[in-house]
Amino acid sequence: MKNLSITRRVAIAASVAALGLTACGGQGASGPATKVVTIDDIKAGTKIDITFWHGQTADAAKILGGLAREYERAHPGVTIHDSAGASTTDELLTKLQAGFASDTFPDVSYAYGSWVAKLGSSGRTLDIKPLIDADPKAWEEFPEAARATATVGSKIVGMPAVNGNLAVVYNRKLLKAAGLSDPSPEWSWEDFRAYAAAINNPAKKISGTAYSVAGNEDTTWHLWPQLWQNGGDVLNADGTKPLFNSEAGVKALDYWRTLAREDKSVYLDQNGEKYQGLFNAGSVGMVITGPWVLYDLKQLKLDYGVQVLPGTDGDHQTVGGFDMWTMFDHKDTNKAAIAYDFTKWLTAPAQDVRWNVANGNLPLRSSAVDTPEFQQYVADYPGADIFMANMANAVKPRPTIPGYQAMSLEVGKAISQALLGAKDSKSALDAAAKNSLVELVQ
Amino acid sequence: MAITFPTHDLNGAKPPFGRGVVKGGAEGRPSLRSTLTGWAFCAPATLLILGLSVFPAGWAFFLSLQKNDLITPATNVGFANYKVLAQDPDMFAAAWHTLFYALMYVPTSVIGGLLLAIALNRPIKFQWFYRTCIFVPFVASAAATGILANFVFDEKFGAANNVLRLMGLPQQGFLTDKHQAMMVIVIISLWGSIGFCVLTYLAALQDVSQDILDAARVDGANKWQTFRYVTLPELGPVTVFTAVWQLIAAIQLFDLVFTTTKGQPLNSTVTLVFYLYRMAFMEFKAGYASAIAYAIFAITMILTLFMVWYGKKSKVEAF
Repeated sequence: MKNLSITRRVAIAASVAALGLTACGGQGASGPATKVVTIDDIKAGTKIDITFWHGQTADAAKILGGLAREYERAHPGVTIHDSAGASTTDELLTKLQAGFASDTFPDVSYAYGSWVAKLGSSGRTLDIKPLIDADPKAWEEFPEAARATATVGSKIVGMPAVNGNLAVVYNRKLLKAAGLSDPSPEWSWEDFRAYAAAINNPAKKISGTAYSVAGNEDTTWHLWPQLWQNGGDVLNADGTKPLFNSEAGVKALDYWRTLAREDKSVYLDQNGEKYQGLFNAGSVGMVITGPWVLYDLKQLKLDYGVQVLPGTDGDHQTVGGFDMWTMFDHKDTNKAAIAYDFTKWLTAPAQDVRWNVANGNLPLRSSAVDTPEFQQYVADYPGADIFMANMANAVKPRPTIPGYQAMSLEVGKAISQALLGAKDSKSALDAAAKNSLVELVQ
Repeated sequence: MAITFPTHDLNGAKPPFGRGVVKGGAEGRPSLRSTLTGWAFCAPATLLILGLSVFPAGWAFFLSLQKNDLITPATNVGFANYKVLAQDPDMFAAAWHTLFYALMYVPTSVIGGLLLAIALNRPIKFQWFYRTCIFVPFVASAAATGILANFVFDEKFGAANNVLRLMGLPQQGFLTDKHQAMMVIVIISLWGSIGFCVLTYLAALQDVSQDILDAARVDGANKWQTFRYVTLPELGPVTVFTAVWQLIAAIQLFDLVFTTTKGQPLNSTVTLVFYLYRMAFMEFKAGYASAIAYAIFAITMILTLFMVWYGKKSKVEAF
């Protein structure tokens, strides 16, 4: 039974934690290595082992394993121990928690962007800023918001692994049935509302669009683009005060509240796991989602289209989702140099097209658009080019402060309350702001 | 009734509870060799229990005295987590949801299990088929049950609302209605786990001695009287056992909530263990979550002790 396995997981994490904390006296290691050692300082043939948790399975894992072998061949003496690290990407954080406690954490690990701030404050991450400063060119080609996600305070703790952003994916057949043509890149939120209302067909059980009310980050980050388009912000400049309950935030939430409560054109997804499946099955007309759905849509041979988010006064900005290769400090300058060099190599354009693009993800740099691999990718996955161009609309990063995760749950709760009609948008967001203030100042 | 312990029995075996051991007399102790042999047999299981249950439980207690996210260095906060716990409205809401669930689930599963077991204990055609039907959902994992139920009870696309529509009844919100969601979870749990109660009762019913039943009939008892005064008392220990077991399962409800509602709508299905999970793995408050774990442990312990005591008091030996 699942509850047993959770109990056991807590127990194992706790016992591992016990062993580790006894070993290191309850204190995390801290401080970066003093002297910057790069791969050029390491004598060829020196035996160096690094551990690489890529968080991927099946084909993606095979590709990364192959790249690791290739790096080993080019660097005699280096051994990369690659594995998924955990059964699912979500589980990686728990594995890292246990790993920190027992001092058996990897050198490089995949991490969701929302974890980075927390990991960065662990005192276990490797600050790669000195290494980047020595040769900043490759780094500066990454999208600005991706670089911001990898930056925690004055430290840089990772490099982008997978880039994504939110855009509208629509079912062309349902649009046609409602007498609608494909939306234009200039469309507004009022157009979106009209589209949703026209597609919505309760008799045929077709919803215009969908919104997750699970109350987690997926609920929360869907609100940020409109908050920003309305001129609002999530937090103040130093990340100590929530600003999402401003007029801009209330307006954004009211928009969805109107669609959900008055138009009833939104499928409110209870646990956030159904709306994509329902879209894929032709029961939802439009979803706001990322390029990660393209692979499935291609498999299903669904007639779909992709368009940038509707705009407010011509502002079509969106929110970016950036997963990271996070690096960890083992107080070993050789390992640190190899971990950095391997990650840099892995994210370089030549390898990026073979891993991300071949696997259906967006390339990490806009320069990849000119490669033949990218042309093939767009041919394979229609709409990928729109997601790629939409990276330019991901202007602002999601906050990278340790309190973000807890704040995100508060905002998610407020959105659910407003959309389900339990509270009005203003009071729901005000309560969330008040509750998250405690999390932010801690 | 006075209880006396022999101070030294004739065969020189160790007296029970070690009380009244008389000093001296090497013949009174088992030899070192047999002690070691005994421990050698116990060792693997003892190590497993110590390593996987006792030690983590102890460690969780230390964790509950810390502000610890298992990532950044921990700080000791004494009993602050417990103090917060005592005035956390979300925690009380979760406790209330769990209590509501237990009050709905435990009696229904025990009484329902008994009735089904009685029905299935009669010589009817296709008895094996019905038994299998009732037991199969119990074998399916709760996660699978939850995911399946999620689609059956979907407000818009689910089979349940389709059936209601065909019968001309109004459409229901089910898992999306905060007043219905917990009841729906009770129904899903019953579907998934009533097989366990049925199985226990079936075994117990077959244990009721035919002699006593015959004797009752000879004495002129009718069917109802035989059931009420012979069968039912015989089932007492199993009833206490099943009730305690189901109660513990109810307090630990997590998997179905996780796979169906994730605590929604509007946190109306957040149970104690789900709240613990949310604190530990979504909000990174491992210290606070450990304090919740200890609160759940205390509640379970008190309720179990009460039921065992009640069973003893009413002369029903279930454990």
